[in-house]
Amino acid sequence: MSTDEVESTFFQRTSRWKFILILLVLALIITVIISLGVGSTPVPLSDIVTVIGKNIPFLGGHIDSSAVTPQNEAIILEVRLPRIMAGVLIGAALAAAGVLYQGVFKNPMADSYVLGVSAGAAVGASVAILSGIGFVFLELRLVQIAAFLGAIFAMFLVYNLSRVGSRVPVTTLLLCGIAVNFFLFAVVGILEIVAGNQLPDIVFWLMGGYSNVYWKDIFAVLPFIIIGIILAYFYARDLNLLAMGEETAHHLGLNVERTKQILLVLASLITAAAVSICGLIGFVGLMIPHLTRLVIGPDHRILFPTSTIIGAIFLVICDDLARVVATPFASTLEIPVGIVTMLFGAPFFIFLLKKKKQSYSA
Amino acid sequence: MVLLNVDGVECRYGSTKVLDDVSLSVKGGDFVGILGPNGSGKTTLLKSISRSLKPYKGAILLNESDIYSLKNVDVAKQMAVVPQETSIGFNFSALDVVLMGRNPHMKRFQMESANDMAIARKVMNLTNIWHLAERPINELSGGEKQRVIIARALAQEPKILLLDEPLTHLDIVNQLEIMDLVKDLCVKEKLIILAVFHDFNLAARYCNSAIIIKKGKIFAAGSLPAVLTSETIKSVFNVDAIVTKHLVTNSVFVIPLSPQKPSPCKECSIHLICGAGTGTTLMKVLLDEGYSLTAGVLNVLDTDFETAQFLKIPVTTEAPFSPITEKTHKANLEMISEASTVVLTSVPFGDGNLQNLEAALAAVKRGIPTFVIEEVPIERRDFTGGKAKALLAELKSKGAEFVKDQNELLSLLNVSVEKLQIAKEERDRLLNHLKPGEISKETTMKDKDE
Repeated sequence: MSTDEVESTFFQRTSRWKFILILLVLALIITVIISLGVGSTPVPLSDIVTVIGKNIPFLGGHIDSSAVTPQNEAIILEVRLPRIMAGVLIGAALAAAGVLYQGVFKNPMADSYVLGVSAGAAVGASVAILSGIGFVFLELRLVQIAAFLGAIFAMFLVYNLSRVGSRVPVTTLLLCGIAVNFFLFAVVGILEIVAGNQLPDIVFWLMGGYSNVYWKDIFAVLPFIIIGIILAYFYARDLNLLAMGEETAHHLGLNVERTKQILLVLASLITAAAVSICGLIGFVGLMIPHLTRLVIGPDHRILFPTSTIIGAIFLVICDDLARVVATPFASTLEIPVGIVTMLFGAPFFIFLLKKKKQSYSA
Repeated sequence: MVLLNVDGVECRYGSTKVLDDVSLSVKGGDFVGILGPNGSGKTTLLKSISRSLKPYKGAILLNESDIYSLKNVDVAKQMAVVPQETSIGFNFSALDVVLMGRNPHMKRFQMESANDMAIARKVMNLTNIWHLAERPINELSGGEKQRVIIARALAQEPKILLLDEPLTHLDIVNQLEIMDLVKDLCVKEKLIILAVFHDFNLAARYCNSAIIIKKGKIFAAGSLPAVLTSETIKSVFNVDAIVTKHLVTNSVFVIPLSPQKPSPCKECSIHLICGAGTGTTLMKVLLDEGYSLTAGVLNVLDTDFETAQFLKIPVTTEAPFSPITEKTHKANLEMISEASTVVLTSVPFGDGNLQNLEAALAAVKRGIPTFVIEEVPIERRDFTGGKAKALLAELKSKGAEFVKDQNELLSLLNVSVEKLQIAKEERDRLLNHLKPGEISKETTMKDKDE
């Protein structure tokens, strides 16, 4: 390839990135709209468009919604939309955190739960469920608050255990995370044994799902996730430097330890916020960054936003499946979305990996 | 002009002191080699200069300001590092990796500009990797990868370049190309180059000065001829080395010899009759095996003479370029009478040294076991009109042991007397079974191979 070609391909990159992002945002919007019609009660597309249009400020007044039954409007706005928005938020959060963890750890096995966040949340949630207290703070249930606090607690525990002086060696962090994870899940195991009648609640929480989500839950975690993702994006190029190795990143002018600290705290906050409303949804944080990297390449400036959007799309689609797959057997039966992500995500991921095996090494 | 001062630096890993009171002052245009055995603290020195390991005591000054008080990014604008090993996570393209060298010059949300691209292209052309620009870094060979890393360092447009064994993965052409490039930058752009080397001769060829570190302290510093002496090399690296000037490059040239093994103390002394370099390797090998050696007659200035001097082997000498006089011949015979074995190498014979053959003959006649190495047929090294050939034939008839090369000699010397006897019989038997025609056929084939 000639010199000019290499350069022009390179400089076209920015517009190519913008194009990809616009395309993905459109795909996300379309996914959301279509998903609003999916469920045990089918809702026609025209109703969906009308109801959404009515709720857009200024424009809404001009739209005639008399054709939509109040029942359908309630299904769209109060049942499905919060659930789908939760899917968007959680999928985005888990995928974004996955990119951050894999970038900081330079390790393809790292996922959004690597610092013991999942186990911490699980312990918190289990204790809250066992306590049986219907405590509500700012309209949030105790289970959510406890899961969030448990996640943050586990993250700080792992972080401080693996600190050597002012440095946090990545390998130690990873191993500590694994150890704490096992320990905390052992605690969850004990709690399950003594749970008695509340065992199904704990098991269901652990399987991951957000079928009973309300708008207030979403608004409670929204700031953590949105602000976390935006702040983390400031560090996209620094993640590229970290991929060169910490020593090299340091020589290229990066304040390595501080960047690592900031990114790990942000990633854990994002994850904890997501986990607090959805329980443990596996595989999104591990797989989506990989999948995106296969297609987009390793540059975090584009990898991070695309992974985030693809994570959102992926989880919304998985939740659609969770809603309808079991419907033929029993109209009220639902598979937890955490099961769906693994059930359909894993084979698809393996297919991609096989297909691109030659050119992919993480 | 950029200045770098290392002022009484002491570095520790935990409580272990790895650098002790190291001071160094370099300015733009200096190419300093850092030499020292493994674990002496070379890499640690580079680490402390590159802000990776804060000194326990002392300071590192970049243009007179303490480097540890500067911001990382400001140091990165002036200083680039090529590390020993790099593992790059995820598959960035070579161009991406080189462009990361522009990081210290970019703002947080800035994308790479046309200027950054021009610089990347320039350094990639210099390191000869522009054609690899779009290849994923982890699919490149070790040498190509190393050149990408060097290009990335150059893309930082540094004033100081730290190289930690930069040539590890490179073949000889790449080594020279990269060193030529670095040297050129050093001279033209007045860069400071600090490079850790393991190869004395590469260091001697490219550096203006060098420091030798031993156990965390600077053992020697200064110009290459001053620093690279066989005494220094012996005391720092514990290896014997011959230090000369290279004929072509005129830089100091070091020939390290393999480390002295503990002597097995053979109860045997050998007298070598050699010359013109035919005995040089043998001297070292036999000494290592624990034999005590003598040699003669050798002309002063002969290669073998110089080797013998270096290895401290007693020699009967003759004046340079002079025929052997009767007096020296007698002295040589005396020396031979002290030896338990005599070895005659495939030295060429002229009228000047024919007496050495007679000395060997005398040894055989006195019953001293004598080995004759016949690596080169006597016809090709007889410049006496057949006299040497005749004497050699006489040696054979009187019972001297003929071997085809050094290795055969060594295997004969190393086995016990008993085994030596068996080997001899085996060989005789083999030779008797072979017809003369077959022997000559074999030798002609060998000649062709050579």
